[in-house]
Amino acid sequence: MMNIMMRVCHLSKRFGESEVLKDINVNIAEGEVVCVIGPSGSGKSTFLRCINRLEMPSGGTIHYRGENLVHEAYDIRKFREEVGMVFQRFNLFPLKTVLENVMLAPLLTKKGTKSEVRKIALELLDKVGLVEKAHVYPSTLSGGQQQRVAIARALAMQPKALLFDEPTSALDPELVGDVLEVMKNLAKDGMTMIVVTHEMSFAKEVADRVIFMADGYIVEEGKPEEIFVAPKEDRTISFLSRVLPAAG
Amino acid sequence: MTISFLNTLLPMLVQGLKLTLLIAILGIAVGTVIGSLCGYALQGNNRITKTVANTYIWIIRATPLMVQALYGYFVIPKLLGIELDSTTVGIMVIALNSGAFISEIVKGALLGIDPGQKEASLSLGMSNLQVMFHVIIPPAFKAALPALFNQFIISVKDTALLSIITVNEITHMGQNYAALSFKTIETYTTIAIFYLVLLSILIVVQKKIERKMR
Repeated sequence: MMNIMMRVCHLSKRFGESEVLKDINVNIAEGEVVCVIGPSGSGKSTFLRCINRLEMPSGGTIHYRGENLVHEAYDIRKFREEVGMVFQRFNLFPLKTVLENVMLAPLLTKKGTKSEVRKIALELLDKVGLVEKAHVYPSTLSGGQQQRVAIARALAMQPKALLFDEPTSALDPELVGDVLEVMKNLAKDGMTMIVVTHEMSFAKEVADRVIFMADGYIVEEGKPEEIFVAPKEDRTISFLSRVLPAAG
Repeated sequence: MTISFLNTLLPMLVQGLKLTLLIAILGIAVGTVIGSLCGYALQGNNRITKTVANTYIWIIRATPLMVQALYGYFVIPKLLGIELDSTTVGIMVIALNSGAFISEIVKGALLGIDPGQKEASLSLGMSNLQVMFHVIIPPAFKAALPALFNQFIISVKDTALLSIITVNEITHMGQNYAALSFKTIETYTTIAIFYLVLLSILIVVQKKIERKMR
């Protein structure tokens, strides 16, 4: 049986008048790879950003290790140290080298001595295939390379889970493959991942579960073969018919 | 024309230079602290600190520095019943004045940093303070450098206006000499050269730092 890592109940988020998330209920199991798909404006990214409280949810609960983190009193830093995030636009620190980017957070949060952190950072850069770029600045890297550094940076905190917010959407098409390859390897190693993505083939191949969101709700969820081959809801069918190439 | 006038003028100007440097360095240092705090307040969400900062900046920017100096020297001591020497007033005026302009520079530099930088840092478990010092300030400082040095240069030159309240800085010392000797051409040329050299040093420092940060 699978251990539930995160339990999201009745999660909602409003920005002024607009209700972006209406009633989100989902459990994430340890080691599970969940891909979140759906049209833009459906609340996918907001959902992800509510999980690590980059946006404070307006209502509902998110339980992690028995504690509800939708609560001002909850020290969200504990959670963020254990659940990393990778952004669409990489957000590397421009004045720091690749290695310094990866080392900064573990050093500041006292994950180890400088030499320990450095060793781990170099191993992770090797893992994402960029150890030879350790001493260059992010601006000299391609988008795909920057995103792989961002993944290594998140991994340097030795997280229990990773959130990916459209990690390949800002990349040139020919650079997407390398990033997805790194993510696939993470999934293979058993990393718990929630991935907001437009890469349907990645979702099909890697996800344990696919969640289809629209208008602030989870419309449908299931195994990739269920969602992509035999979707039940009209909303899912019409979305997939637009994003998937015609069968043939 | 002989250069014998320099025997008297040079020691006077060197004397003045010491005071110019003292006022400029202390004034700019305090002004940078004020400007950093107010600039931070301006881009933050706290309404009270924002209002305080805005009011201060408004008053300073909307009055001439010379009037501020006269006010600080003649009015404030009377109002408060205290004694203030001209050098202290000079330092305060330069500090308050540069602080107001530096506030706007700092605000702009902080607002210019992509919010994604903060989000990425927070998502890695850093505290707000760590984000500020390790992620936001270094690139903001780099972006602010040209404007900051502009203000430093202006503030050094502004010290000359303090001659109006009898601060014995370079310009005032020179005026004293010119009034006694009537050697206006020699005096003001020498004064100009003093400032030229002094500010050239500042400009060279700026170029050096900018090159280092690239």
